Amino acid sequence: MKQRLLIIEDNEQNFYMMRFLLEKSGFEVIGAGDGKEGIEKALDTNPQAILLDIQLPEMDGYAVAAELTKHDELNGVPIIAVTSYAMVGDRERVLAAGATGYIEKPIDPETFVAEIVRYLPASQTDPEG
Amino acid sequence: MANERISAWLNRVLPGLLLIFLPFLHSYTPRVWADGRIVKVGVYENAPKVFTDQSGRPAGIFIDVIEHIAEREGWNLQYIPGSWGEGLDRLANQEIDLMPDVAHTAGRETMYSFHKVPVLSSWFQVYARQGSGIRSILDLDGQRVVVLERSVQQDAFAKIADSFGLSISLISAPDYGKIFAMVAKGEADAAITNRFYGLMHAKKAGLEDTAVIFNPSDLFFAGPKNQSGQLLAAIDAHLVNLKSDAQSVYYESLKRWTSEQVRLKLPSWLLGIGLATGLILFMSVMGSVILKRQVNARTRDLSKRNKQLAIIDRTLRATTTELDLQAILQRALRGALALTKLEGGALCLLDRDSKRLVPGTSVTASGPIPVSSSSSTRIGECLCAAAVLGGKPCIHWDGAPAGMTVPLIQGNEEMRFHAAFPLQVRNEVIGVMCVYSCTDERPSELKLKLVQDICGPVALAIENARLYEQVLHHSEQLEQRVTERTEELAVAMERAQEADQLKSAFLATMSHELRTPLNSIIGFTGIMLQGLTGPLNEEQLKQMSMVQSSARHLLALINDVLDISKIEAGQLELASASFDLRSSLEKTVKLVAPQAAKKGIELKLHIAPDVSTVCADQRRLEQVFLNLLNNAVKFTEKGHVHIHCDGEMDHYIVAVSDTGIGIKQEQLSGLFQPFHQIDTGLARKHEGSGLGLSICKKLMDMMNGSISVTSEWGSGSTFTIRFPRNQEACSETKTSDH
Repeated sequence: MKQRLLIIEDNEQNFYMMRFLLEKSGFEVIGAGDGKEGIEKALDTNPQAILLDIQLPEMDGYAVAAELTKHDELNGVPIIAVTSYAMVGDRERVLAAGATGYIEKPIDPETFVAEIVRYLPASQTDPEG
Repeated sequence: MANERISAWLNRVLPGLLLIFLPFLHSYTPRVWADGRIVKVGVYENAPKVFTDQSGRPAGIFIDVIEHIAEREGWNLQYIPGSWGEGLDRLANQEIDLMPDVAHTAGRETMYSFHKVPVLSSWFQVYARQGSGIRSILDLDGQRVVVLERSVQQDAFAKIADSFGLSISLISAPDYGKIFAMVAKGEADAAITNRFYGLMHAKKAGLEDTAVIFNPSDLFFAGPKNQSGQLLAAIDAHLVNLKSDAQSVYYESLKRWTSEQVRLKLPSWLLGIGLATGLILFMSVMGSVILKRQVNARTRDLSKRNKQLAIIDRTLRATTTELDLQAILQRALRGALALTKLEGGALCLLDRDSKRLVPGTSVTASGPIPVSSSSSTRIGECLCAAAVLGGKPCIHWDGAPAGMTVPLIQGNEEMRFHAAFPLQVRNEVIGVMCVYSCTDERPSELKLKLVQDICGPVALAIENARLYEQVLHHSEQLEQRVTERTEELAVAMERAQEADQLKSAFLATMSHELRTPLNSIIGFTGIMLQGLTGPLNEEQLKQMSMVQSSARHLLALINDVLDISKIEAGQLELASASFDLRSSLEKTVKLVAPQAAKKGIELKLHIAPDVSTVCADQRRLEQVFLNLLNNAVKFTEKGHVHIHCDGEMDHYIVAVSDTGIGIKQEQLSGLFQPFHQIDTGLARKHEGSGLGLSICKKLMDMMNGSISVTSEWGSGSTFTIRFPRNQEACSETKTSDH
C-alpha cells in the first residue's frame, strides 16, 4: 500500500513539482489549496505525513499547524513545513507552532524526497512497502 | 528751667540790694535852683513818650516829667522840634540842652551825658499786619523790616538777625508814624518800634504786635557831653521822688499815655525791681521759647529731610527691583511728585528712530491720565526737548516760553512752572521725566536736585526692564521655534516610521514573490537535468545547466540584496544556538570542493585540536565561511586555498588564504563597502553582486566579531575572521543595530 502524503500548498507549480517528485518515488499525493481545505483533508484522508506551506492565503501555516496538532487522530503524523529561506525565525516559529520538520525553499529535486523520507516513521521508510 | 531759677533768685535778692543803696541815692538830691535858666529841649515824634499834640504843643511822658521838674527848678523850657536824627545832631552841637527818650549805650556815653535814674524802661517789639503769621524771629527770614533810622534798634536788630543767620532786608524811615504806615501799605512786612509807641498806635494803624521782643533798654534825658552835670543831677533827684510816689505826676503821665492801670501802689524802686525782674524773667522765657522754636524748626527740617530720603529710598528700591516697565515708570514719577510736592508730571521715553518722545505715564492734579504712544511729540515741540537735547535738567520758573506746548496738560490750565530731567544711561538719553505746576507752587532747588539724583537709577531700571523684555521675547520665540521643530520632527518621524513599515512589507513581499518563480525554475530544471522526465540529449543538458546556473545566481543576488537591506534597516535577527564549529566548517568546505577540484586547486582545512562548539547563528556564520571560500576559489586560478581554524582565549579565528590574484593596496580600504567589486579586467570574469564581503563584515559586527584582510597583489590574499565562542550566552538572540 502506497504511503499517502498531504501537501497543503497554494502555488500550483510548487505543488506540481513536489507531487511530481513524490509520485515518481511511489507516494500517493493529496493536495489542498488552502489551510481550511488542508485541515479537512488531513482529517478525512489519514495521511502518513503532511507537507505544509507557510505563506498561505487567509489562514497561514502557523495557524494550520497549531490547529492540526489539536486533533488526537493526527497524533504522530509528521508535519513538515516547506518555507522560504529568507524569513528569519520561521523555522523556530514553525516548530513552536507544532511542526515536526522543516524544508527550505527552493527545494532541491535531488535531495527533496530523501529529506521527506527522513521524517517518516522508520517502519515505513519504503514507500513501496 | 535754669532761667526760671535765676529769675526767682533775682526776685528775692534785688529788693534787698536796692534797700541798701536807697539812702545813698537820696543824699545826691541837688538843691533847687531859682535862677530861671533857659533849658532847650529837643522834641521829636515818638508818642506817647514824646510828641507834638494836636494843638502843636509838645506832649508825652518825657514832656510831663521835664515840665514837672522845670516847674520845681524854675527852668524856662524851650522846645526845639525836629526828627530824632536832627535832635541828636543838635545835642551834639550843643544847640539844645536836653534830648528826651535816649537809650543808654556805650557808644552814646562817649558823645552825650546821661543821668542815672531811667525815666522809662522799654524794649523793642516787632509789629506786623494782622494775620501775618509771624510768630518768631525765624518767620522774618526773607522779609522786609522797617526801622527808625539811626536808632539803637537798627543795629541791635541787625545783630540779632545776623546771629540767627536770617536774611532780612532792613529799611529805615525817619519816624515811627511812617514806619507803621509803610507796613500797613505793604511796602514793608514788619516794623520795629519801642513798646510804648506800639502799645498806643499799633491797633490804629491796623497792625498787631508779635512775640518778637528784643533789646530791653532804659531811656533817659541826654545832655551835651560834660556840659550838663547839674541839669542831669537835678533830673535824677526828682525822678527818685516821682517814682517813689504812686500818686505823682510820673505815674499819672504813664497811665494817661499808655492806658495802663498802675494797679500796685508800690514804691517806685520796688516797681522798678519788679519790672526789671519781670523783664529778666520775660527775656529768659522768650529766650527759651526762641531756643525751643529753633530746635523745633531744626527738627521739622530734619524730619522733612528724612521724609525726602524715605521717598527716594522707596522710589529707588521699587524701580530697581521691578522688571515691569510700566510699573517702573509709574513709581519713578510718583517718587518725583512726592519729592517736589507737585501734582503734575509725566515720564516719556525717547524713540531714537522717529526722534519722538513717547509718553509712558502721566499724572495731573486730577490723578493719572491714560497715555498712548500715538500722542507722542517730536523733539522740539515740547518743553522737555531741551533736557533731551542737552542732557541736562531744564527748568522754566515762569511758565512755558511762547510757541512751546505741554501736550499732557489737559483742559484750560496754564502751566506756570516746568522742570524736565533727562534720563540717561551711559551718557545716552533714553527719555525724560518732567514735573510741572499750574499754580504758584514752586519746589525748592534742593528738591529739584533730589529729583535729578533719582533719574540715574531710574534710567538704569528702565534699561534693565527693556532688556528683560527683549530676553523674554527671544526666549518665547525660541520656545515657539522649538515647539514647531518638535512638531515637524514628530511628523517626520511618523512618516519615517510609515516608510519603514512600507519598506519592511515590501521586503517581505519581494522575498516571497521573487523567490517563488525562481523555485519553479530551479526545481524543474533540476528535475529535467536529473532525467526524471526522460533522457536529455547533450545540447539540452548543456542549456538546461545554463538555465539552472543563471537561476541559482539570480537567487543568490536576490538573497544578498535582501540581506543587506535588512541589515541596514536593523531588521536582521541573529539566532543563537550552540553547534559544532568543526563539522560546520567541514560541511562548508565540501560545498566548494567540486568547484576547486574543477579548477585544480588544492583545498585544505586545518582545525586546531581545541576547537569545539560555538554559540552563534549557524546559518549566518556558514554564510560568511561560504562567501570567503567561494571568493578564494573564484579568484584563484592555480595553487591552493587553505583554511585554518584556531581557538584564542574566548574567541575563534578562521583564516582563508589563497594564492590568487590578490588585491592592490589602495583597494583594500573600500573592500568591505556595499556593491564593491574590484574593477579590473579580470573581475569581469567573475560573477557576484559585490555585496558578499559587505554582508560578511556586517554579520561579523553583529556577532561582536571582526573581519580583516591582508593581501599582496599578484600572489594571494588572506581573509581572517574572529568571533566569540559565547558558550555561556546561548539562549539569547541579537538584533542588528545598524
